[in-house]
Amino acid sequence: MKDVLVIGCPNAGKTLLFNRLTGLKQKVANFPGVTVSTHAGKARFSSDLQMIDFPGVYSLHAISGEEKVAVDAFQSALRQPDQVQAVVCVIDSSSIAKGLFLALQVRKLCIQAKVPMVVVSNMIDVLDKHGLSIDHQGLTSALGCPVISTSARTGSGIERLEAALREPSLSFDRSDPSVIAVDENWDRNEAERLAHAFGPTGDLLLKSHSRLDDFFLHSITGGVAFFVIMYSLFQAIFTWAAPMMDAVEGGVSWAAELVVPMISNPVAADFVRDALFGGLGAFLVFVPQIFVLTFVVGLLEDSGYLARAAVICHRPLNAMGLTGKSFVPMLSGIACAIPAIYAARTIESTRKRWFTYMAIPLMPCSARLPVYALLIAAFIPPTHTAGGLIGLQGLAMFGIYLFGIVTALLVTATLSSVSKKSSSDSPFVLEMPPYRIPSFASILRGAVERAGYFVRRAGPVIFWITMLIWILGYFPNYGADLSQSYLAYLGRAIEPIFAPMGLDWQYGVAILASFVAREVFVGTLGTLYGIQDATEEVVSLATRVQESGLPLASGVALLVFFAIAAQCVSTLATLYRESGSLRLPLQLFAGYGVLAYGMALAAYWILI
Amino acid sequence: MRQQVVESLWQLSRGQTAVVKGFTQSLTEAYRVRLVELGFRPGAAIACTMAPKLGAPKLYRVDNAVYSLEQKIAECIQTESVTV
Repeated sequence: MKDVLVIGCPNAGKTLLFNRLTGLKQKVANFPGVTVSTHAGKARFSSDLQMIDFPGVYSLHAISGEEKVAVDAFQSALRQPDQVQAVVCVIDSSSIAKGLFLALQVRKLCIQAKVPMVVVSNMIDVLDKHGLSIDHQGLTSALGCPVISTSARTGSGIERLEAALREPSLSFDRSDPSVIAVDENWDRNEAERLAHAFGPTGDLLLKSHSRLDDFFLHSITGGVAFFVIMYSLFQAIFTWAAPMMDAVEGGVSWAAELVVPMISNPVAADFVRDALFGGLGAFLVFVPQIFVLTFVVGLLEDSGYLARAAVICHRPLNAMGLTGKSFVPMLSGIACAIPAIYAARTIESTRKRWFTYMAIPLMPCSARLPVYALLIAAFIPPTHTAGGLIGLQGLAMFGIYLFGIVTALLVTATLSSVSKKSSSDSPFVLEMPPYRIPSFASILRGAVERAGYFVRRAGPVIFWITMLIWILGYFPNYGADLSQSYLAYLGRAIEPIFAPMGLDWQYGVAILASFVAREVFVGTLGTLYGIQDATEEVVSLATRVQESGLPLASGVALLVFFAIAAQCVSTLATLYRESGSLRLPLQLFAGYGVLAYGMALAAYWILI
Repeated sequence: MRQQVVESLWQLSRGQTAVVKGFTQSLTEAYRVRLVELGFRPGAAIACTMAPKLGAPKLYRVDNAVYSLEQKIAECIQTESVTV
């Protein structure tokens, strides 16, 4: 099987084209730098070809970690020319001078490696809308390789591209001066000349985009819009997800009532009711909230708003030791820290990238969501004020999310103020993507996949831990008395650690289990209450927490603890891989652990 | 229209267009190359499309692309004239 290497400028629609050619569903968004690692997929149009998608680069002279990954991987792939069917260089039809500069550099490497190349002028639909065009024939003869117009969005031109990739031809003229040119000015001037000779001439920037910028980047309206958008995001997590959560909860109870009476063995029946429906079921109830969160973040990404938000946030983030480019990784961290850590590759400055790494584990990720949602549902009534516009639970969720974000900023500001500034702190330069109507179908698909991935990733861990917890809690007295179980002995041993926060041994066990993954807390607590109650019903976990008499101060202490502690093994492993330092994840784990405990204790003593 | 001399791109107000003259010595080579790759090359006409207050990065139009540049880097781009 041979490879087709797909390279191009950021936000040229490269990944959407890759998805078209492979039938895969890699994440795409209207923001430069979404692809941060290479992806491979079998070509849909030929069983002998594999497509490889590289992160977007402006040139082969890398200045950021993300670009270095792409350039190194691309050059390494070209070192085995027999393995390469062709190189596809994707350029944005509305900004071809920039794309042609990269294409000329890529062409030089292809000529040296004797590998065929195809230039794809993507987003041709944008030119069509303005009645403009590119002289493809002229460009094809000037570059010595096929230039094909496509719109990955509409599918136009894809068949022609597939045909060209099935049987690519090496048609470069080796006497071309660019083959031997070493002066980068030659490439730049030639790109300019080709763009003027064969590219579209006209104004492609819409006045409406400028008006939207006037609003979203205005000192007052922009700030208000940013706050309203972020606040709405957290309200949506509760209000939009509520019917779906009710449906899942109802479904779990219905299934439990149907299945448990059919099991004749009493131990097996207890296990299925308490561990499976009580533990795993309690976790599944919160999956709709993860779906809603991913959906709304996807809408913001695809609309082009995120780049504007990065501009708005640059100055305040800069004052905290970060950069406007930290905004997108930090927002991604609200869904999951792992892709957020990868997204930080777009930050050129090593120092600011490391500060971003430190901030990401404090972002309120989706694994924290079930814990927050459980405690908020247990302590905050589901009432609305301001004519139904403001829900108290949504407001509480906004508050705890804000707490995590503010803590992250204070940590980076403190570290930044005591660390030495580096001359390599790169300045802020960000391309503004055009505004567009989000593609609802692909965002919906992405949100479903994200929720599914969350269940697949966390489900098995929760299953094994709830099973272990159930066994330890059920025996040796067969669930007759939880306080005399093996788990109770273990729990009492660690009880002194959490007792100062007003938490009993059951919460201690659930916190200990959550160090594998935060969401395990909910499943563990569900299993424990299931054994303790020994009823035939599967009751809402929030109701059980309410009935347990847990004081509000302890609930807040738990929220604070979960907002700060770095309890995710996968996040720490990813930090180690990306930073190349074992010290960073170890220091974060210990530092945030101590901070979480201290702050939780302080919250308890203030409120009690 | 009249011509006015400004020293750097950062001094442009919204709606003004300037021609790039060069770069200050303080700009690192990697960033000089990157700016030129993006279109901020000597001789290019750059328009300021948005100049938010409170020192937030400004928006500059180069051909059909718009970039946001903070003060630190926009000050390194020397301009020779501005159309008011």
